[in-house]
Amino acid sequence: MNRLVDDIAADWAIRRDAGALDAAEAVELDAWLAEDPRRAGALLRAEAMLALATRAIGLPGASAPDNGTGREHETPAQRSDRWMARPFGRRLLLGGGAGALAASVAGVLFLGPASGVEIETAIGEVRRVPLADGSTAAINTDSRLRVAINDKFRRIELDQGEAFFEVAHDKARPFTVAAGRVRVRAVGTAFSVRRRGDGAEILVTEGVVETWVDGYEGSKTRIAAGGRSFVSERPAPIEVAAAPQQIDRALAWRSGELALNGESLGYAVAELNRYNGRKVEVVGDDLAGEPLVGYFRTGDPETFAEAAASLTGARVETEGAVIRIRR
Amino acid sequence: MTRSRSEIVAWVGSNVVPHEADLRARLRRLGVPEDEVSDVVQDAYLKITRLEDVSHIDSGRAYFFTAARNAWLERIRHDRVVRIDSMSSYEGLDVMDDVPGPERQAWARVELQRVRDHIEALPERCKTIFKLRRIEGLSYREIADRLGVAERTVSSDASRGLKRLMNAIAGDARDEPGKAGSSVPSAADTRSEETP
Repeated sequence: MNRLVDDIAADWAIRRDAGALDAAEAVELDAWLAEDPRRAGALLRAEAMLALATRAIGLPGASAPDNGTGREHETPAQRSDRWMARPFGRRLLLGGGAGALAASVAGVLFLGPASGVEIETAIGEVRRVPLADGSTAAINTDSRLRVAINDKFRRIELDQGEAFFEVAHDKARPFTVAAGRVRVRAVGTAFSVRRRGDGAEILVTEGVVETWVDGYEGSKTRIAAGGRSFVSERPAPIEVAAAPQQIDRALAWRSGELALNGESLGYAVAELNRYNGRKVEVVGDDLAGEPLVGYFRTGDPETFAEAAASLTGARVETEGAVIRIRR
Repeated sequence: MTRSRSEIVAWVGSNVVPHEADLRARLRRLGVPEDEVSDVVQDAYLKITRLEDVSHIDSGRAYFFTAARNAWLERIRHDRVVRIDSMSSYEGLDVMDDVPGPERQAWARVELQRVRDHIEALPERCKTIFKLRRIEGLSYREIADRLGVAERTVSSDASRGLKRLMNAIAGDARDEPGKAGSSVPSAADTRSEETP
């Protein structure tokens, strides 16, 4: 029904784009719009989609000759550029921050193991903790970290699990996370560190961090906003991938969610089991390989299992503390 | 079209439309039935249609999600059928805007590239028409002459292309069987039968 409304709205968007409507068409459009107020929303949506597509196609790389015919349709790209100017302006400011980081890196000594406050989360618990310097740490399930903050340095030891840091800007006190022998350093930045296997996974959402393995300071590598990297404790070149959308999903735990976009059921279950005492099991490799899409609550394995089963044509069996998904 | 409307359209294109797929996914996850998701999305756009000005809005995403939340609330109040989980579902729309700014911006650039990819994936003639119109600014008449087809064919292809783009941008591959990604099951596939 409403699919149809969207389609008719698209037709009208194209007709309006083709030029001014004549009187009969204008009457026809008004009559269509009058039937349901929602249709005006659908028309705005269709025209905005067209404007977005025009903007996308006007990116560098697409040739855009300026033939100045003064038609109304030629300006949306320019107009939307003006609307976009604000956010991109803010990005430039971030670039400045990265420069400041570079300036502060020289002459910082390695800091010995720190004691200080210890914070632990239970299985299923996600905690947001303000730190003494104005930074915040969001600590994921089943994690343990120690915080040492004084007037010379800010140091976190991530003994287990995963945490996301929003770092208060302070050039004088570098903010360093130690995950085993992996080091991550930031000035004013937001990033997460997760201990995994023989190293740590680092996701950067804002600013720039610098990472290396203790004892191999020569391998220092920068990761900028939108980048992710797995840094192994075994010395190996550090590779950084740009993956802003994946990062968005990978950090959904901060709001108690697991975000999946085609990842396998097996992966989803392994992630979900980090959060719950009641474990989910998948029977069969075929089933474990099924891709899933959607947001799920991390603290609700039963609902997850039911949803995953219905998406994959499987069924759920509960046996004691184990929730089993099988075909 | 007044000037301010076309400005709002451009603003909506850049600041609201890129979040539509997220909103739809969120609505589905909250248990909003598939056939009502499009209604709620249209209602949210309708609320934006009524704006005189958009320059006071900092976050298109937050505004859009709030509009959707309010639309859903009104629906729950007026609806013939009130679902058990509907009250908890509108609360789920509250936590929408917790994504930090720069993260969102980086994402917006990726989104533009995705839209470009969608355009590249259009059928050949749709794509040609689209580019001649959007980049070179030809009229549909001129495009018809250049391609040697009827003007009506050009506008119907333009329509077809826009519909495909809209579905792709909305993250809704239902109308595009055989496209990459259609093997991935979505909640939509299992929840409701097609009701055209």
